[in-house]
Amino acid sequence: MTECPACDAHVECAAMVAGEIFPCTDCGTELEVVTTLPTAVQLAPKEAEDWGE
Amino acid sequence: MRASVVGGSGYVGGELLRLLLRHPRIELEQVSSDSMAGKAVTRAHPNLRRTTDLRFVPHGELKPAEVTFVAVPHRESMHRMPEWLARGGIVVDLSADHRLKDPSLYPQYYGVAHPHPELLVRSVYGLPELHREEIRGSSLISNPGCIAAATILALRPLVASGLVDTDRPVVVDAKSGSSAGGSDSGPASSHPERSGSMRLYAPAGHRHTAEIEQETGAKIGMSAHAVEAVRGVLSTSHAFLRAPVDEKEIWRVYRAAYGSEPFVRIVHEADGIHREPEPKVLSGSNYCDIGFALDVHTGRIIATSAIDNLMKGAAGNALQALNVAAGFPETMGLEFPGLHPI
Repeated sequence: MTECPACDAHVECAAMVAGEIFPCTDCGTELEVVTTLPTAVQLAPKEAEDWGE
Repeated sequence: MRASVVGGSGYVGGELLRLLLRHPRIELEQVSSDSMAGKAVTRAHPNLRRTTDLRFVPHGELKPAEVTFVAVPHRESMHRMPEWLARGGIVVDLSADHRLKDPSLYPQYYGVAHPHPELLVRSVYGLPELHREEIRGSSLISNPGCIAAATILALRPLVASGLVDTDRPVVVDAKSGSSAGGSDSGPASSHPERSGSMRLYAPAGHRHTAEIEQETGAKIGMSAHAVEAVRGVLSTSHAFLRAPVDEKEIWRVYRAAYGSEPFVRIVHEADGIHREPEPKVLSGSNYCDIGFALDVHTGRIIATSAIDNLMKGAAGNALQALNVAAGFPETMGLEFPGLHPI
């Protein structure tokens, strides 16, 4: 259990693996699992506006 | 529990019937309408075909019931309430006639002096999220107005937290669908006039202003618009902050107020096309969705709330309050989640 960096909601990611991306259940922000022991998440990277160019 | 509905031929009455006929702990015995007495209730509410054989009775033929829902127009309920209370049981009044605690506001907002101001002391403002304990055991529950319910639920936690500068008015911009005007609302709601319109129908002085001020403690300046929809209220409140805050603080305030509430959802999502509250997807449901945004440029918080005006804004909330008063599970008969797409 850890907190969403955008809205502070409790998020559960113990069953996930590092690098996995999932949405916060409250604010919908995409989060990336950084580590599982201890659990830590960060805002998932977004595509930049020049994606593909 | 034996129930009757006074004034069941309008849109709110029809929504009450839809809910009560499917409630597992309520037996709907009588529905009154002087204008449609003797006719099947399905004449007024065709969606109820094959769900009931009830016919409208005149108001004067109503028998005592354990709960009476009153869905008659404003200014009628205030004269007849002693008669309905004398029949015993719980009375849930869906008109505005017992919402305001200060009787001096009735001439200002409803154009008449209240004939029974003693009942304003006895009545409970029937928004369970604010007055759940008072509703339990009450025999006179006054159901909130639709725009008022949506606005109060969005604003009250922000004001109570001290984040909002209450020395300045809060500006409320409300939009409502045509069913909020009732089934007998005159030429303003006829299809040629209403279709395609975006009409400012109450630039100032809207009646619900009084109950929003009563329940939030903030000074309210409200403008109300009629928009192209049948159901729905979207209320946008603009309040100025005492000091800068971040979004996490607003999340904390709303979670503390509504984290365990069954019918209030905080909707403020980072992505997608439904990031903020939208009445359309709430049609037929009892939810109030609340969202927010911060305007750092002006030190303003924008709080939005969406409901179905006939549900959380009328019949749905009335049943929720009755569930509380009667000791039934609060969500009983109100589990429908709405439709998408619609």
